[in-house]
Amino acid sequence: MSFRYQLALVWAAIFACIIAFLSLIRLDLGFIGEWWGFIVYGAGNPDAWTVGIVATLYISLASILLAILLAFLGALGRLSKHPIAYGVATFYVSLVRGTPLLIQIFILFFGLPQINQQLNRVFPGFEQQFPFISSLLVLPALPTGILALGINYGAYMTEVFRAGIQSVGRGQIEAATALGMTPGQTLWRIVLPQAVRVVIPPIGNDFIAMTKDSALVSVIGVQELLWRSQKVGVQNFRSMETLLIAAAFYWIMTIVLQAVQSQIEKRLARSDR
Amino acid sequence: MDAIVRLTDLHKRFDALHVLKGVSLAVQPREVICLIGRSGSGKSTLLRSINFLEEPDAGAVEVDGIVVTPELDTRTRRQRIREIRLRTGMVFQEFNLFPHKSVIDNVIEALLVVKRLPKPQALEIAENFLRKVGLIDKRDEYPSRLSGGQKQRVAIARALAMEPKVMLFDEPTSALDPELIGEVIKVMEDLANDGMTMLVVTHEMSFARDAADRVIFMEDGIFVEEGTPDEIFTAPRDPRTQQFLQRHIRG
Ligand SMILES: Nc1ncnc2c1ncn2[C@@H]1O[C@H](COP(=O)(O)OP(=O)(O)OP(=O)(O)O)[C@@H](O)[C@H]1O
Ligand SMILES: [Mg+2]
Repeated sequence: MSFRYQLALVWAAIFACIIAFLSLIRLDLGFIGEWWGFIVYGAGNPDAWTVGIVATLYISLASILLAILLAFLGALGRLSKHPIAYGVATFYVSLVRGTPLLIQIFILFFGLPQINQQLNRVFPGFEQQFPFISSLLVLPALPTGILALGINYGAYMTEVFRAGIQSVGRGQIEAATALGMTPGQTLWRIVLPQAVRVVIPPIGNDFIAMTKDSALVSVIGVQELLWRSQKVGVQNFRSMETLLIAAAFYWIMTIVLQAVQSQIEKRLARSDR
Repeated sequence: MDAIVRLTDLHKRFDALHVLKGVSLAVQPREVICLIGRSGSGKSTLLRSINFLEEPDAGAVEVDGIVVTPELDTRTRRQRIREIRLRTGMVFQEFNLFPHKSVIDNVIEALLVVKRLPKPQALEIAENFLRKVGLIDKRDEYPSRLSGGQKQRVAIARALAMEPKVMLFDEPTSALDPELIGEVIKVMEDLANDGMTMLVVTHEMSFARDAADRVIFMEDGIFVEEGTPDEIFTAPRDPRTQQFLQRHIRG
């Protein structure tokens, strides 16, 4: 028997066990069939297609973009000899990596509006005078969730970006400098194009991890996949069913994204010089 | 004749280590100078002080009439350093090509972003210099597919394309397999014959003997002895020079 064949058998057996277990706990398969579309992509409600898995994906995408920006700035700070830049960057990384993501989500969600309240108390009329700043402090749940995830992943990715930038040899930077290129030109045209190759695979991994960590923002009421499954589950006393729907779709999403990533990495490897 | 490079009482320290201890040098246009000396004597530091890859702590660097001293205000200094870098080309021991760019893109890079030439013009210049170093057929290759000797010749073309007044070479053949040294030396000799002003740190004594107008022996951050290749190689006066040469010529 070939190894692949054995592997398929093992997976099939595990699935069979799971299904046996689920029927043992009297799972309502009809309920799953009826509700999965509504939970996963808002089926039956054409106005609500940006919920569920779509929300999960775009929260992850927006957060990873924010994280990339922060990680880039963080890496420049970590590599800077300027005490302020270095100090701010190391503080950011240390604080964010030293505290749970869940706490960060809560603090942003409850803490920022509290700052707004205090500002209003200390400077009466603050809200009217600076409506923009004020609106930034009382963000709705969705942008708050994106902010929290982006800030959190940005701190972890700072180290990856730093390593990517440092992977470009000192000698190349000296060559560019000797040719008269400015530090900015050297960074954009010599260092970053090479650093990108180093950081793309880890960014891919982080993005896949992010799709699952984004489930945490359900705690502040963002209508992503987990939140919807919880809502429907609790209302119908069918939480196990709805959680399984959510889990299944996180899993499928991960498998698809991993396939995409391995394609990208293959292409990168092919163009490697 | 007016010197094209003039160093006046240059000092450089790395923390407690005093690497350049008051070096002065005037390089005439078209002159080829070879710097020789033991490892750690400060040859690279001296060369790198000319285009400010290292910043001297004291003393003046003058290239083509542009003077930089540590006393200048930051803005003027920065501007003048830029001017000096435009007038000097540097070739490194480790080539330092940009691995993500093809040969031709390595050569046009600074023409495009530093000199801001239009691309067709940059390509024409780059192709000329690639032809000069005998690598026009490698135009679209990537550096990783070149031999060490070819890489170094591309690096030389890249520096020459900026049309510098002075070329600085820091041990350009030290990283090469022995059988590849000749092709690089040949390019450098052609360059010397064309009248390029060159400052060359090298352990290739044959190049120093054949191509140099002046040889300088450096030790411990100072110039111990300088003279024509004949003077230095056949009748060195300082015992330190004699000792160094004995060891190197035999090898
Ligand atoms: N960036 C640096 N930081 C600290 N010390 C340095 C630095 N660069 C050079 N040095 C030290 O300065 C001294 C002179 O170095 P330099 O590279 O100029 O010597 P060199 O004559 O070029 O030697 P070699 O033949 O090995 O290239 C050495 O002792 C070296 O260790
Ligand atoms: Mg050296």
